[in-house]
Amino acid sequence: MHMHKYEKIWLTFGIACLFVFLTVIGVSAFAEGKQPPSCLTTIDPEKVDQTPPFNKPGLVKTGDNEYQLNIVVSAFAFTPNQIEIPKGAKVTINVTSKDVIHGFEVAGTNINMMVEPGYINTITKTFNQTGEYTILCNEYCGAGHHMMTGRIKVVE
Amino acid sequence: MAKPELQRTKTNTKKMKEHDTSLKGTLASVFLLGFFIIFSWVSVYFLFLHRL
Repeated sequence: MHMHKYEKIWLTFGIACLFVFLTVIGVSAFAEGKQPPSCLTTIDPEKVDQTPPFNKPGLVKTGDNEYQLNIVVSAFAFTPNQIEIPKGAKVTINVTSKDVIHGFEVAGTNINMMVEPGYINTITKTFNQTGEYTILCNEYCGAGHHMMTGRIKVVE
Repeated sequence: MAKPELQRTKTNTKKMKEHDTSLKGTLASVFLLGFFIIFSWVSVYFLFLHRL
């Protein structure tokens, strides 16, 4: 097969780029553990209010400077929606939905999850700077979607 | 009326084909697009790392 010289150049370049991209993502995912929010834990969406830890949603201290934040998402609210976190805390956030698909985004951070009923989403984040963060629902979930907000305050 | 082309020989057509394939512009646009994709990919990746 006859191939133009330039064609060989850009095909090699393109395939090399593809390998570089995949290697960078592969190394950061499997060697450095930068994983997307887990969705492997399941829950009965009709019994969220009776299932621990979601029967008592909120911030729970689990160790030295380590916390667990359990949030129940439903139409159209985050429970709880006002959270205070001490600076430097390593927080494992567990989120589940009681009804339809919602979004859980903490604006300006990498926390951004699609919350599906029946699944528990988990992400861990260390809050190193004081300030206020807004929690938003970014999956259209109904008439009150735009009013679904919450606030995280990182304090000294 | 269509006429059968009796004049054109095999060597003639081959010569014309070589002349028609200048891919300089294509090479330039492919690399321009390529560098734009690389730039966007790298910036998004570093934004993600910065927010960790």
